[in-house]
Amino acid sequence: MPQPGEPVHRISIRRRIPAPREVVYEAWIDPEGIREWMCPGDATSAEAVLDVRVGGNYRIVVKGRERDHVHTGVYQVVEPNTKLVFTWAEEGRAGTTLVTVEFFSHGNESELVLTHERLADTDTAKRYQSGWGAIADKFAAYLARQAPGRQPATTPNR
Amino acid sequence: MFNRMVEYSQEALNQVFAAVADPTRRAILQALSRKPATVTQIAQPFPVSLNAVSKHIMVLERTGLLRREIRGREHICTLKTRPLQQATAWLDHYREFWDLRLDALEQYVARKMKARKKGAAAHATTR
Repeated sequence: MPQPGEPVHRISIRRRIPAPREVVYEAWIDPEGIREWMCPGDATSAEAVLDVRVGGNYRIVVKGRERDHVHTGVYQVVEPNTKLVFTWAEEGRAGTTLVTVEFFSHGNESELVLTHERLADTDTAKRYQSGWGAIADKFAAYLARQAPGRQPATTPNR
Repeated sequence: MFNRMVEYSQEALNQVFAAVADPTRRAILQALSRKPATVTQIAQPFPVSLNAVSKHIMVLERTGLLRREIRGREHICTLKTRPLQQATAWLDHYREFWDLRLDALEQYVARKMKARKKGAAAHATTR
């Protein structure tokens, strides 16, 4: 569950990757790369059209066994080798969310930090950004008591 | 099934987030997470009117976070955690989604690096 003060509407994943950050960044802006790594598991193939510049659109189609998943959005921030921010919408799923990917260099290795957050109406977002964490923790304990064995996998960082 | 649950709850989820944005309502939920209570018991520690607390309780009731049961003249309120489980389902969905893809990204990058090294080695031997 989120740490105290950590908002419940956002996930953050940190990965250390044994490659220079230019190579990792390239994988995000190269349609060929996206096509390869965006369809793991039972997905069979993907299409990717990326217009990587501020205000540019992207469209990624992942063909699943049962149905296609269409992801679309607009790039908000494009800082080569450093940061990408884009909106993220999924066909058939209400609401737009925001994805931020940051790239850090550690010698020959790099670190990637991905944050995916819900965009509620801004007023609501502002209000629950503060102070929601404490009650979320209480509920985590409560849920754990209610359903032993189920550990909500929502830790912000691994 | 999981997807359907996530899709269904988008709107409901926004309501849940809005409901818990209020400190008084969070305090009410916190108290109820210890044990069910009557409206009067809930209102006691708050420096606001019983009427104001009743309004908060109604908001929580609409989100499904709280259930009110009428026993004689008393209204017993109980915390319901299902809407919160749905809130964490959103997080679980995207955590799994990105974890899988970042695994694939790592493998893709590793292949690129291998090809790069091979290319560099080939370049070195041809010189």
